[in-house]
Formats: sequence, structure tokens, C-alpha cells
Amino acid sequence: MCGTVREAKSGKPVAFAEVFIHETQAGAVTNADGRFHIHGLCEGKYTVDVRHIGCHTVSKVVDIVGNMEVDFELHHSALNLDEVVVKASAVAPLAMQAETRIGGLQLIASQGQTLSDALEDLPGVSVLNTGQTISKPVIQGLHSNRILILNNGVRQEGQQWGLDHAPEIDPYTAGEITVVKGASSVRYGQDAIGGVILLTPKPIREAPGTSGELNLAGFSNGRTGVASAFVESLWQTKRSAHQLWSRIQGTLKRGGNYHTPAYFLENTGLKETNGSATIGAKRGNFLAEVFYSYFFTEIGIFRGAHIGNLTDLQLAIDRGRPIQDGSFSYHLGRPAQKVAHHLLKTKAEWKSDQLGTFSLVYARQFNRRQEFDAHSLGGPSQEALQVPSLEFEITTHTADVVLKHRPLLRYFTGSVGLQLMHQVNTTDRGGLIPNYDSQSGGLFWIERWRNYPFPLEIELGIRYDVKRLYADRRGPDRIDEERIFRNFSGTVGGLYRISDAIHARLHFGTAWRAPTVNELYSDGVHHGAASYELGQKDLSAEKAFLTSFTFEASLPVQNGRSAQATLSIYRNRIREFIYLAPMPQPVLTIRGAFPAFRYEQTNAMLSGMDFDFNWPLTTPLTFDGGLSVLRARNLTTKDWLIFMPADRLWGGLEYAFLTSVKEAAGQVDDRRASLKIDVVHVLEQKRVPPGFDYAPPPKAYTLFNLEARLKWNWQDLPAFLTLGIENIFNHTYRDYLNRLRYFTEEQGRNFSVRFNLKF
Amino acid sequence: MKTHIFFSAKAIVLATTFAFIFSACDDDNDVVPNEQELITTVRLTFTSGNESLVFNAIDADGPGGNPLVVDEVNLAANTTYQLSVAFLDEQDPANAEDITEEVREESTEHLVCYEATGVPSPTGLDLDANGKTLGLKATYTTADAASGSLKVILKHEPDKDAANPCATGETDVEVTFNVVVN
Repeated sequence: MCGTVREAKSGKPVAFAEVFIHETQAGAVTNADGRFHIHGLCEGKYTVDVRHIGCHTVSKVVDIVGNMEVDFELHHSALNLDEVVVKASAVAPLAMQAETRIGGLQLIASQGQTLSDALEDLPGVSVLNTGQTISKPVIQGLHSNRILILNNGVRQEGQQWGLDHAPEIDPYTAGEITVVKGASSVRYGQDAIGGVILLTPKPIREAPGTSGELNLAGFSNGRTGVASAFVESLWQTKRSAHQLWSRIQGTLKRGGNYHTPAYFLENTGLKETNGSATIGAKRGNFLAEVFYSYFFTEIGIFRGAHIGNLTDLQLAIDRGRPIQDGSFSYHLGRPAQKVAHHLLKTKAEWKSDQLGTFSLVYARQFNRRQEFDAHSLGGPSQEALQVPSLEFEITTHTADVVLKHRPLLRYFTGSVGLQLMHQVNTTDRGGLIPNYDSQSGGLFWIERWRNYPFPLEIELGIRYDVKRLYADRRGPDRIDEERIFRNFSGTVGGLYRISDAIHARLHFGTAWRAPTVNELYSDGVHHGAASYELGQKDLSAEKAFLTSFTFEASLPVQNGRSAQATLSIYRNRIREFIYLAPMPQPVLTIRGAFPAFRYEQTNAMLSGMDFDFNWPLTTPLTFDGGLSVLRARNLTTKDWLIFMPADRLWGGLEYAFLTSVKEAAGQVDDRRASLKIDVVHVLEQKRVPPGFDYAPPPKAYTLFNLEARLKWNWQDLPAFLTLGIENIFNHTYRDYLNRLRYFTEEQGRNFSVRFNLKF
Repeated sequence: MKTHIFFSAKAIVLATTFAFIFSACDDDNDVVPNEQELITTVRLTFTSGNESLVFNAIDADGPGGNPLVVDEVNLAANTTYQLSVAFLDEQDPANAEDITEEVREESTEHLVCYEATGVPSPTGLDLDANGKTLGLKATYTTADAASGSLKVILKHEPDKDAANPCATGETDVEVTFNVVVN
């Protein structure tokens, strides 16, 4: 159990409060941030005392379920000297499936990066890049349409299909990011073949008042600056019967040309402007909330990567680097992308004492993507450059109705729900994707049987989906075709608790996704990839069958500090896996010859292992590390699958400067300051199919990074500073999953400063 | 008073929702779709005296669909021709557009390269505004009867100071004509 003790009125943390558990005689003292940790509690009901100098001791009964975060609020008002409010929020029970998450200080320490880069340190997650500014998350080898992103509970509907289309999300809106690994359609819906990324906003403050947070980040490479802040308020009547809250948040980001150890890359800057606002109200058992977010980015694309045909590409690969050394500039020229994403979410929730919690979520998303070519054919007239060569607009409406029911027959908890979606795409310019509209609906039911302290828990789930896709295309080759896809998905999971600190989990899950319009109908040259891509209009839906085994252990080793390790082994078998297969004859165009690829289906098997651990060597020194291994096979052709992340391993040593008070109280997580050195080694990807790629995969590389963290109180406000150096030795390397690896090396040494202040 | 706060909040929630749903539906859709410039035709004109010979490479519907059709270039032996190359957008034949003019206006940004195999290479290429090679016009002198090929490449933003300018820049056109000299 861990949590924070705060003064209710000001919301400020209370230091030196004693938290004591009667039944086990265990206790802890809060640190300067009001945080406490009590390890090794079994599940069940406990009487918890919170004592603080000048107050009466107050007892509350807390029902401990799994790892819990329990916050206490001490009311220091003259009237209620001894009132303690206990808010115990059981985080969702342990998932059956492998999950990994980043939140709190860890997330703040990685701020300023793209969403994908913030996740890159997690086991089993890698990043597919187009230069430094466009990155997509890859979970256990799968990405784009095979990953579902739930932003604040709403499935992100942007332009996931393109390899150079990054998720249109401001990571600063999230307080915690969870990565669910492997097929998981039942709970999250179609497309969750490779996994799900859940972005959960920071919970609104619990005590009435106004507070906020300021985040600043600066990076030497690209001279990038980011500023993000939010302010929130909560008003409530006595005894919290009526509550009203609001939050306003905004982020600005600006970066210029970044550099490799040897040269600058022209036109690789970006501009980003994001904002969001929330208002909500609660009365008794009824809650309503409206959330709106706006995301806008303008990204320069490295000029040297814009090629006319295969000859140009071959010349660029032979050159191995840009023609010119380039120089620093914030100027954004052509080629470029401009992407805007609006999300409006309304949520209503009703807690019924008999049935459970009903929630109704409606969301509307509007996504506009514009791509600007380097020049208009013939000559770059200024007006022509203002006109995008590609422009798509996707409007999506989603509605979810879910009932999380109260325990049934004592041991069953679960939820049933209905999810609906309507989507329209309009292609204003460029013919890569036809106009289409699509509707889908899904019904799911998940139950979990749990009889604590019986060591076994079981979860079962089922889902049925229907999706309709209608494609038309203005112009000569009108498609005018309707496809309907139907599918059942299921999940079975078991958790065995060897002890409270050691679990083993076995999970079987399925997922599916309908082919996307580009896989069905594309017919043209993809200039970024120097290839001619041909869709197949009779493709069937892709289905994934996942088996995963996860073993987790947490053992006390040092002064109450625990060593932790997680191992997960998986096999994701995908039927009718859609991929681009090379065709024997190139396509001849007026621009020269292009290798031709066609969307084909095969049976694929992705199997692998993710492992990570954290080992306290001495009180101030911690060793951590991990390993991700993936083998991806095309079962039909008995060959490897292309563009799969290479195996990687990492390790780090962290030295923490602890204050004596914290040490005495065993507050190992609360460090005044720390210094950490990291090593990441990425192997060469030798498992590639022949005939798919223009250049062999790059060599293995090793990077060293350094990070220093410092926490202090600045005018009574908690402040947090992180200083970092990435790629300390300015090592020259290329990464297999960077689409610009044909043209350029990866970025060189990068100094960073990050500052966080809560007010 | 308290309920008042609550209901005003609910009103804001609802009003914002509907305002957004209805206002945001009329995003601009008034753009003419698929209006993209495309070079569909490369035209070589060989002039000797009063006689002009015209050879085309045409892909009217762009990449894919109907294939690219390239004429065979038939020239007389031991003759000197004035060669000119033209780039056209003939997606809509009634409204063909001559892109050569744009190339000429931005002459410093463009370069026409020729690669001949088995037949002579063009000589005396014309120059851009900076006095560097442009290549829209050239002299072509045939020798005895022969057959081979002539590749015509239009480069955008080449580095004309490079040792081999034709290996730089972005390729807009790359077409190979078979050449027969009788």
C-alpha cells in the first residue's frame, strides 16, 4: 500500500505524519511530499491510523485489494481538527495480460519527447521513426493499424495507416500511460492486434481549491523548447455532495534542424500547438464531464529523403549521407506535413447501488492531414507551394455504453458494453486513399472470478463486432464498393498467486481488424517509399491469437527495499496477416521504374520475450535492466517478416542521495536527488526476408545516457529538475526502424533540461 | 445555491457539446479533388531543315492503370538535327498544359540529362540563366546506321556545381526511348 497524506484545505502534503496498521503492526512516516509506502500487506480489511502532531489519532478501515494507492486527507480547520477523509481507489485488479506503464515522476522525467519516445524505455515497446520528429509506437513488433490508442478513454481515430503518420496526441494531457501487450480486442475493440496504449489524464485534485503544474523542457539537439502547463479548480459543497471542476491545459513546442554527429539535417524542425479543457460536475451518484482537446503540428520533412524515383534512392543510399552539411535553422520549408486533430468527449456516469456503474461516452474526432511536396511540377510558384499535394479529412463519432456491475454471486465482477462508431473520410487532394464511410458496432462481456485469498483468479470475455466499409472515389476510377466484416473475439485468463509478491499469469486472447482502405484500394506510387503499391480488394480480416505467460516477483532484499522482476513470454499467431509483398516486375512510369509491391495475406507468428528487473545493490545504489527479444515469421513463405524491431538489451545504475529522515523511515522511493547512467544495446536485425528492402539493415549499436534528478521546494512549491545527456559519446549509428536510415545517420549527442513545478 | 452551481454546470456541458457537434460539421469540403499536376507526356522534336520529327512517351493516366507508351525514335543517318524536349500535362487532352515553360522560367532549378547507349549523345546543350547547362535544347548529330537508346531525365533542384550534376536532385522524369538510325 502506498499513498499521500495531504492537508485537505490547501491540498499540501503533510510531512512526518505516521501511518500505522493495527493488524500487522507495520507503519511508515510520510516524507516531505506526504508520501508513504507500506510493503508486504496481504489483501483484506485493515484498520489504518493516521497520526499527526497536534491532532487526535484517527482510525479508518481500508479494504486492501492488490497494490493500492490510498490517500488520506487531514482537515486542519479549527472546526474539524481530527477529521480524516479516506479515499481508497483500488486500481483495476491485476491484468491477466502483460502490461507495462509509465507515470508519475518517470513520465515527468521524460517530458518534452513525442508520445512514442516516452514509451521507448518500456520492455517490449520500440519506435518506428521518420527522422527525429515523426515517431510511432511499436508493441512487440506491431504498429500503425495494429495498435489501438485510447486517449482519455476514446479510441484515437486519425491517420494511423501511414508509416510517417505519428499519433496526433499531446503526451502532456496524460498523467499515466499504460501499454497492454498483445491481442486484446475483447476489452478494447477491433484493431488491437498488437496491443493497446491507454493514456489516462491525471485525476482532478481531490480537495477544493485551485492548483496547477508547469512543465518546461529544452533540448540542445534541434534547439527544441517545450512549455506546457495546466490549471485546475474544484468547488464543492459540504460533505462533497456536489462538486464542480475544470481544467485548462496547453502546450507549445518549437524545434529546428537537428544534427547527427557530422552534419545538420535541412528542414527537420517542427512546431506544435496543443490545448485542452475539461469541465465536470458531480452530484450524488451522477457525474458528467466534457473534455475537448486540440492538437496541431507542422513538421518539416528532411529534404534529402524526398526522392523522385528508384535511381534517386539508389544514388542516395550509395552516398550514405546528405549532399550538403546543412546548418541550423528554425525555418520550416517543403516538404512538410500539417496535421490537426480535434477531440470532443462527453461522459455521463451513474452509480447505482443495486446494479453498478453505468457510463455513457460520446466522442467526436476530426482529423485533417495535409502533406506538402517539395515543389510543384515544373517550377515552384509561391501559390502552388501553399497548396497541399495530399489532404485527407476524417470525421469520427464514437459512442460507448458500459455497465460495470456490482459483484454477482459474491465472486464475480465484470462489465458489459456496447461500442458504436461512424466514420467518414474525405480526400480533398491526392488519390492515395479513396473517400469512404464506415460504421461499426461491438458488444462485449467480461467476467472475473475471484475469491481472495484463494490463490487462483479466472477471467473470461467474449465480444462480437460488425463493421461496414463503403469506398467510393471521385474521378475516373470510382470504386463504389461495400464490404462487411463480422467477427467473434474471446479471452481467457488465469492468475495464480504464489504469494502476495509473486504471481504467474496465463492469458489467451484474440483480436481482429478489418483491412483498411489503403490495403484494399491503393494503386499508385508511394513517393516517400519509392515504391508502387497495389491494393487487393478481396482481402479478408486479420485475426490474432495470443498466448502469453507473465511471471512477476517482488522480494525484499535491502532495508525493506524490494527487488522486482517481470518476465513475459508470448506467441501472437496472426491469420491472414496483411503485408506488402514484392511483385516480380517493376512498374514503368514517366518518372522511371518503381519496384512494385502488392498487399498479400499470409499466416504470421510473432513470438518473443520481454524481461526487466530492478535490484537494490546497496541502500543508495540500484541496478536495473532488461531485454526484449522478438522472432517474427511468415509461416506461408517460411521466411522472416520485414521491419521488425531488432533484439535489444539495456542496463542502468542509479545512485540516490537520500536524506537521513527518509532513510530511517524506509522511504526509498523518495529521493532528494539521483544520478543514473544507462546503456542500451540494439543488435543488428539479421532476420529479414530477401528482396524486400533497398539496403541491408544497419549494424548493432550501443548508446550511453546520463540523467540527474533533483527535487526541492521552491517557495514551498514542489519542484523537480532533470538534466540529461543522450548519446554521451556522440556515437554515429543508424537504426533499422528509422525510415530515414537510407539517407542519414541518427541524431548525435543531445543535452536536455526538464523542469516541473506544482503550484 | 449549490444545486444552482450544479445545474449551470450541466447546462454548460450540454450547450458546449451541441454547439461543437453542429458547428464543427461544416468543415470545408469545397476543394476540387485530385487536382494535381502531372507530367503525362515527354515529347522529343528533331528538326533538320524544314523537316520535324516528333516522338512521344505518354502515360496519360499516370502511374499504374494503362502502361507508359514510348515511341521508337527513327532518324536518318549522318544528319544534324536540332533537338528540343517538351514536358506536357495532357490528363485532360482538351486542356493540355505545357510544363516546359515552367521549367524554362525556373531554369536554374532544373536540368535535363541525356544518357545514350549505342547511339551518339546530344551535344551543345542550351544554358540556364546562370550560364550553366539546362538541356531543353541540343544538337543531335547521327552517324552511320545504328540502334540503341536515349534516356531523358528531368532533374529538379540538382547541384549543378557537383562533379556529376545528374546524380543529384530529385527526378521528375526518367524515360528511355529506343533509337534507330537508318
